[in-house]
Amino acid sequence: MAQLTVHAPGLDLPNPLMLASGLQGGSVSALERVAKSRCGGLVSKSIGPSPREIYPGPVCVEAMNGVILNAMGLPNPGVDAFSKMLANNEFAKPMLVSIFGPDSESFSNIAIKMEKSGATALELNLSCPHSKPGSTALIVGQQPNLIHEYVSAVKDVVNIPVYAKLTPNTASIAIEAGAALNAGADGISLINTVSALEIDPFAGRPIIGNLLCGMSGPTIRPIAQRKIAEVALAMRRGDIPVAPILGMGGITTGLDVARFIMLGATAVQIGSALIYDDIDVFETIEKELNDFMDVQGFRDLESMRGIALDSLEGLN
Amino acid sequence: MKKHTHTKERDKHFNLNALVEACCERMEKEYQQHNRLPTPIPSPIIEITKESNGVSTIWIQVPTILATDYKPGQYFMCWNPYDSEGGMSKKNYNSEKPYSVGDIRVDRSGIDEETAPDQGLDGSTMMGFTIKNLGRQSGELIKMEKGDWFAIRGPFGTNFQTPNFGETLILVSGGIGSTPMHMAAKEARNKLGDKLTIHSIMGFQTSDDVHYHDKMGEICDSVTVTTDDGSFGLQGYPTIPLREIISNCEPSNTKLFTCGPEPMMKPVLEICEENGIESYAAMERYLPCSVAACGLCMVGDRLTCRQGPVMEGSWLLEQDDFGSPHYH
Ligand SMILES: Cc1cc2nc3c(=O)[nH]c(=O)nc-3n(C[C@H](O)[C@H](O)[C@H](O)COP(=O)(O)O)c2cc1C
Ligand code: FES
Repeated sequence: MAQLTVHAPGLDLPNPLMLASGLQGGSVSALERVAKSRCGGLVSKSIGPSPREIYPGPVCVEAMNGVILNAMGLPNPGVDAFSKMLANNEFAKPMLVSIFGPDSESFSNIAIKMEKSGATALELNLSCPHSKPGSTALIVGQQPNLIHEYVSAVKDVVNIPVYAKLTPNTASIAIEAGAALNAGADGISLINTVSALEIDPFAGRPIIGNLLCGMSGPTIRPIAQRKIAEVALAMRRGDIPVAPILGMGGITTGLDVARFIMLGATAVQIGSALIYDDIDVFETIEKELNDFMDVQGFRDLESMRGIALDSLEGLN
Repeated sequence: MKKHTHTKERDKHFNLNALVEACCERMEKEYQQHNRLPTPIPSPIIEITKESNGVSTIWIQVPTILATDYKPGQYFMCWNPYDSEGGMSKKNYNSEKPYSVGDIRVDRSGIDEETAPDQGLDGSTMMGFTIKNLGRQSGELIKMEKGDWFAIRGPFGTNFQTPNFGETLILVSGGIGSTPMHMAAKEARNKLGDKLTIHSIMGFQTSDDVHYHDKMGEICDSVTVTTDDGSFGLQGYPTIPLREIISNCEPSNTKLFTCGPEPMMKPVLEICEENGIESYAAMERYLPCSVAACGLCMVGDRLTCRQGPVMEGSWLLEQDDFGSPHYH
């Protein structure tokens, strides 16, 4: 059996398979249920400054084979309720607490409360709009100057490690990753959902209640892999600081995990796969990964990490 | 100018039946590929039956395979893509909601002439969703008319198992919990004929809500209606007639299914526990996503959308978060 443990800032994981933010992670009972599976770690639902209701449905639909579309509207209990739940519960697995807010001040206030309640690491969901005038058309994650501002604001007020979660909907992801890392981020999570839209031709309107949506699931995996490779290569070249990458986007099998690790990911997150097979996916994927590594003779994750980057090194 | 896809806005050459057929064909293709409808498929409403004040059944045509594969207790996510004013902005309360099927009319044209009353338009197969006006969202559904779009996605979730030969089945419903009870009765009777005794207890708030008791009367050996205010049937809760029916049953040979608000189901399940009767309940929770994504439908350590809605009564009674009201 291969050695699957992962050590990254704030994360000592028995295996590299983390729950991705937003999937089942908004309540203690749901997180506890996931923690009991074979996952290696958890990421909470993104928690904001105040409670938010879910958008009108349909909120999450399998629109085609391998295509998951969602617009949940970041439903969450709000920082006060969630930090109380954090303080009163021990989870069986390490957890990144995902947070979001309307501005950098809100991010840092939430970060302080989460650290006080016992969070051991944070993930900043930068795929949210910036409420200050002048930049509402873009989300924070599309503006390197704002990424820098938000990450710095949080790093200034907490001591726990901070991961910046990036959107794939930009021209050159290495620039956004660099902005986060130069501001002191301890790691990068990518990718969030790909912006999307689907129309029902009979009803003549979008099939998602919110109209616009984000796409995830197996079909976005090649996009995610490209983005991860771009960030990992920029790190190799020394263009941006070296830091752990938590890779995600469309992972459903152990072989997919191997692909991400070979592109330089330290660990992975799994989201949409739960829509197909619920939390049992962690056990299946762990076994597939183990079998693959055994038959290939990889004794641990380090021995296969980044090997697919060698062939890409000359590229820009 | 605002363009509409509403069937009423179309010109005189428009043929509603042809559109219904096209939507039905689309459903069939999707269903054959995925064994469910993974994405909401809209279809024009072909009939609306008023069951009582504030309770209506919306009928749409579906491929026969969807109806014959359907198991009682499973639910569909139901959605009107436009609200009653033709709008679809986020502010309107036309969210998708879970409903279990209330009635099915299967096309048996090739099978048996005698089941004619069971047939839909032109002998097609129809599914009926029975909806009570519970607030803004279901209120929008209640306002719908023939020709309006009605989209379904599913079926999802666990189901009631068919009882065994020679058993007694007790069905206890509260409000529109009547729908899965009706389908369970219908299925059991279809499969087991008279080798099964079915007692139905149907609880309602007032006589205005009473529905489906005639349908149940045609299938069940006994039907008892209760209303909270005594305006129809017995006054009080379903637990009163339940104790009496149980006293005449052999517990080891009896099963109970229930569906309704949790404060109604809890005492019903407790009576089953006291008497050693196997019980199953269909949970009426709000299921925002239905696909194990949001995590907002937990009961104990289970996701209602996937590990429910039908769950064992004995298990439910052990959960702290079972039994309080959940509003839609
Ligand atoms: C239903 C759903 C809800 C999500 N909610 C969040 C969220 O609250 N915060 C966040 O950072 N990402 C959220 N995501 C994005 C995922 O964490 C992940 O980045 C993306 O889905 C790609 O991974 P996957 O293909 O394995 O799902 C959500 C995704 C889905 C499908
Ligand atoms: S309804 Fe969303 S997880 Fe069950």
